[in-house]
Amino acid sequence: MINSDIVKTDTERINTRKIKRKDNHIHVAFVGNPNCGKTTLFNALTGSKLKVANWPGVTVEKKEGSCIYDGFEVTLVDTPGIYSLTSYTIEEKITRQCVLDDDVEVIVNVVDASSLERNLYLTLQLLEIGKPVVLALNMMDIVEETGIELDLHRLPELLGDIPVVPVSAAKRSGMDILLHAVVHHYEEGPQNPVILYSGEIEEKIEKLEIMMQAHYPKHSSPRWHAIKLLEYDEDVREEHPIHITNIADKNYEKDIIQSKYRYIENVIKEVVFHKEKKVAFTDKVDRILIHPIWGVPVFFLIMTFVFFLTFTVGDFLKSYFEFGVSFFSNIVSSICTSAGVSPWLISLLVNGIIAGVGGILTFVPNIAILFLALALLEDSGYMSRVAYIMDKIMGKVGLSGKAFLPMILGFGCTVPAIMATRALESEKDRRKTMVLTPFMSCSAKLPIYVLFSGIFFKNYATLVAMSMYVIGMLLAIVVAFLMNKFQKGSENDSLLIELPEYKRPNARTIRIYVMTKLKDFLIRAGTTIFIASIIIWFLLNFGAKGMVTNPGDSFGAFIGKLMVPLLAPAGLGMWQIGVALLSGITAKEIVVSSMNVLFGVTTSVNMAGAASGVGTIADRIHAFNPGFGPLNAYSMMLFCLLYIPCVASIVTIQKESHFRMFTFKVLCFQMIIAWLVSVIFFQTGTFLLGN
Amino acid sequence: MTLYEGKPKQNYVVTGVYVEEAITRRLQALGVNDGTTVYIANRSKKGAMVIKVRGTRLAIGKHIASMIEVSDPLEQK
Repeated sequence: MINSDIVKTDTERINTRKIKRKDNHIHVAFVGNPNCGKTTLFNALTGSKLKVANWPGVTVEKKEGSCIYDGFEVTLVDTPGIYSLTSYTIEEKITRQCVLDDDVEVIVNVVDASSLERNLYLTLQLLEIGKPVVLALNMMDIVEETGIELDLHRLPELLGDIPVVPVSAAKRSGMDILLHAVVHHYEEGPQNPVILYSGEIEEKIEKLEIMMQAHYPKHSSPRWHAIKLLEYDEDVREEHPIHITNIADKNYEKDIIQSKYRYIENVIKEVVFHKEKKVAFTDKVDRILIHPIWGVPVFFLIMTFVFFLTFTVGDFLKSYFEFGVSFFSNIVSSICTSAGVSPWLISLLVNGIIAGVGGILTFVPNIAILFLALALLEDSGYMSRVAYIMDKIMGKVGLSGKAFLPMILGFGCTVPAIMATRALESEKDRRKTMVLTPFMSCSAKLPIYVLFSGIFFKNYATLVAMSMYVIGMLLAIVVAFLMNKFQKGSENDSLLIELPEYKRPNARTIRIYVMTKLKDFLIRAGTTIFIASIIIWFLLNFGAKGMVTNPGDSFGAFIGKLMVPLLAPAGLGMWQIGVALLSGITAKEIVVSSMNVLFGVTTSVNMAGAASGVGTIADRIHAFNPGFGPLNAYSMMLFCLLYIPCVASIVTIQKESHFRMFTFKVLCFQMIIAWLVSVIFFQTGTFLLGN
Repeated sequence: MTLYEGKPKQNYVVTGVYVEEAITRRLQALGVNDGTTVYIANRSKKGAMVIKVRGTRLAIGKHIASMIEVSDPLEQK
């Protein structure tokens, strides 16, 4: 039985803790290959809602959670997936450090049973550490579907009698047995080495172990460290500066790896039985999706479909939300008026908060559909394939296809997209991808496109909004190409990524994914956008002389007017737009909410009906500047697509690049690009149209 | 011959991996070692390929594929 809440009373708990002290608290690390289901298992046991998807490298940080089992308080640590206990990638460093940490008492090695052979390589390394290991055989259902049988009696025998527990993280079966094994095994402690190397290597390991024990008497896993010393592992060598050149006379890594795989081959021979050969479902699907010629067109077709749904179905549902918000706005203003609330407060409530926050809430359907589509893409197993089919195009601009994954995530939100660049091997590629990711329109820019294309392009709104995504991608590729030109002589990373089996997207995973994103969005609406709306309302209604009746005299107008000369060449020479763009740096949705507040206030005499109706904004923009047409609107959309990302993204870029100068350069670069593109567009457009 | 020169739907046996140190180790961890049989499941012209190795599918770029030495199955016959 698993209880997420503590069942015992507090006094009981304190008493047992006194008796058992540390014993009733177990620290467990979940370790395994990328995409083997560690996070799904972690979520199932702890009730967490961490992101899960079907491509390698979703988890890039370690996360803690806990559960109670049989009187034990079990702390679980979810780690990024790794193929080996080396320390070349960021993920490997994080996980290795976590596994070796003395706090971690039991290692749960999560294994994808459908690719046992590759997964066992890490298992053998984990066993060498000497800590208790429990093998969680995940995805047994897939194994059975593909017509394979595993000998679950023989497997543990070949792995030093560690507990082997079949589980299904997705179906949440086998959880109790797994926890039982963890708790039980923890009491049992570690066992002897499973795999013996050639006589020569074993001799050296033995000598090194003796040396290790002499220098570090309290060392917990001398054998593992001895092996790592023979593999010339840099970190272990640095941490243990003992003189070993006479023993480790060459790098034995290759031999050690080969011995492990030879052992695994035998294990597989004894444990895996193919009942029938089926053409795997995955291979059938792959005939189309990664077809050498059709792969790329199919991908673009899929993405077009995703955005088509986002805009058409989303806009249809959005009209109901708009109706709701304006209804609510009318009610609030009439109640307040009849209750005799002072006009400035009504203005704050209706024109400030409801217009700003409510206006952004109407975009919930669009955003929900976009994230639903992204969740389905990510959970199906298609993401890795995209890296493969885009490798050729990306290769032309000096990046591997893998760099395309963060860019796709960028359609959702730039922050996790930039975190996802961790999966890229070289620092150079990471930086480059970080520069490119903001060109992918994130979900917060979506409302801007919907708003402006809806007002100015009516029947072509969907097409115009979608053009922003295409332009963003094209510019990203052009920028990557130019960066590649200027960084001559640098060898680009080659693609190396696992393609998982396709699977039916899991309903729970999809729900968690979409709900988490929507929750983020709503929290932003309730906090950042709420506060920004109030601030903008204040800036528009107050000036140097106190509350003003003409917004043109307000603080906002003063700030906005400073930016007019800069924005005028792009056809955006209105102080309101200056304010909207400036406020949009906090979060991109705020461009829209401030447009609502800004153009709701210009005719502040009329209190009621100041909600976010698209028609009213259009009228008011025209009332202020009759010349503002589709050309200006498109220029505005371009500028919003390209100008500096939101504060959260800037902070993430800074954190992930560890380099202030780099972040600063990226920001300047994006500002310049945005300005240049929108100015060139507007000027050419004006010239061509003969205005 | 190199893996890059390989034809789709064919098995090859790896005889040497000569990529940069870090990638070599990663490949070895993934089970691409001397003597390993790999099957080319899919490949694009002058580009990346999908190989099946030890029961999993890997997408590998042109650069890596052209640095993996394999034995020609025709020569063996």
